[in-house]
Amino acid sequence: MTFPQRQAAIVGVYTTEQARFLDRTSMSLQLESIKGALDDAGLTLADVDGIVPFDNSGYSTAPFATQSWAAQFGGRAMTFAEPGSPTTGIPKAAMAIAAGYADVVVAFWGKAGWKLGPGGTPVPDVAPRVGEWDFKLFGGGYTHFYAMWAQRYMHEFGATAEDLAQVAVTHRAHATLNPASVMGARGPLTIDDVTGSRMVCSPLHLLDCALDTDGGYGIVIASAEVARNCRKQPVWVLGGAEATHTDFYATIDDPWFPESGQSVRRTAEIAFGHSGVTRDDIDVGGLYDCFTVTMLRDLEELGFCKVGEGADYFREGHTALGGSMPCNTDGGLLSNSHNGMPHGMHTIEVVRQLRGECGARQVSGAKIGLTLAQGASVHGYAGTLIMAAD
Amino acid sequence: MPDVTVAPAPYLKPLPIISDLNRPFWDGLAAHELRVPRCLDCGDFNWVPYPACRTCLSERQEWTVVSGDATVFSFTVVHRGPGAFDADVPYVLALGQLREQPRPCNVLANLVGVAPDAVRIGMPLRIGFVDIPSEDVTMYRWVATA
Repeated sequence: MTFPQRQAAIVGVYTTEQARFLDRTSMSLQLESIKGALDDAGLTLADVDGIVPFDNSGYSTAPFATQSWAAQFGGRAMTFAEPGSPTTGIPKAAMAIAAGYADVVVAFWGKAGWKLGPGGTPVPDVAPRVGEWDFKLFGGGYTHFYAMWAQRYMHEFGATAEDLAQVAVTHRAHATLNPASVMGARGPLTIDDVTGSRMVCSPLHLLDCALDTDGGYGIVIASAEVARNCRKQPVWVLGGAEATHTDFYATIDDPWFPESGQSVRRTAEIAFGHSGVTRDDIDVGGLYDCFTVTMLRDLEELGFCKVGEGADYFREGHTALGGSMPCNTDGGLLSNSHNGMPHGMHTIEVVRQLRGECGARQVSGAKIGLTLAQGASVHGYAGTLIMAAD
Repeated sequence: MPDVTVAPAPYLKPLPIISDLNRPFWDGLAAHELRVPRCLDCGDFNWVPYPACRTCLSERQEWTVVSGDATVFSFTVVHRGPGAFDADVPYVLALGQLREQPRPCNVLANLVGVAPDAVRIGMPLRIGFVDIPSEDVTMYRWVATA
């Protein structure tokens, strides 16, 4: 069976305000995102027959978030309910739509009231108990694993702090052209700004790290028939895949950077195979840039360059505005927003690019876009999505 | 002689919820031994412990006392820590790769015995045991041997 190209489209996208602190609840941000994305599409709640909520819905009345959300949506039968994340859930939603399971699927996320980082964590009165292999036993967290990944990457391939920093510089430059970005108004960065910023956990400086912000977003995927009658021009799903190969920061296999690639590579191979386009055809991208090193590894694993050559490829400017495949034109997770589960943020920006809605940061003539989401034990799971303008 | 220390009281960092499945590991630490599941069918070591061997899916695994010798696979020097760890900054988190092969086992723990800015990938390590006062658990850490 081949992937059902152009039988499902992204027809609505929405982002709430993104900020370091929002006086909102995660639930409220999700509700705003759902309604906003449906409105962008010109659809209503009654049109929805599929949902892709992430597990953490913020208010649960059932073992699975999909059940709580089906009830919240009015109790109509949701004939596609996937507890995935936006981007990784979209290829499956597109297949479900093509197979006739559903006509209108909404993927969404919202987060407020908690932080990813350790800042301000109180000291407890007694030693708290956590899972036996939890990184918290040793004062570890997500950032520390990416730091160890970066350390090993620099060791194996000779990459430097400046090689990493250039990613933050480029993505900040993009953010300055995005009025909705959290950091754009702070102005551009230099390499020295990044390498001179406070060390969080070596070799990652503060400006090598994503933001830790509040915010929500929604994405509506619909059948071709529905898409033709929506408010905005459809952005067609050409192909996509997801893969996973690790647990959650417990098992760390060696090698970390095999030439043959890992989950991201598999999803790219499948997505390109499905879509019938090549890497040279990609006009605009949104790659997961939770840390500067992640962006370099994304480019390698997706096959835009060889393993170990991400820094050189990035320095050539392919992914900067004005390059052959501008990426993270909204400023990315480094300078736009990282709202806890930002997997759909890149897809939304690419959709806006393919619609021609991006103003000063618009990539002229953008027709084909690619997004990559990843997480867990550093590239441990991945979702790649390839889209086309109408 | 094993490298054993007693943590200062009160110990306010997280401690593990110990399950029956992995209790031999924690009993081993209390006896100042590092025990790692080894597959009786294919011979591979598995870290972290899983119900079956990650190479061949055999459930015939045996808790095996290992050398405790390792080298730094990767590390980070942490300058801002959660909860009680924040008092220790800068502290080092390291993945120590056990000498036992062929399946490489990368074991996460704090690394001591070396200035944080002197830690290097490939540096030799030895397992250390940390008895926790007033708690039913002994923890483990990496100690630089260079």
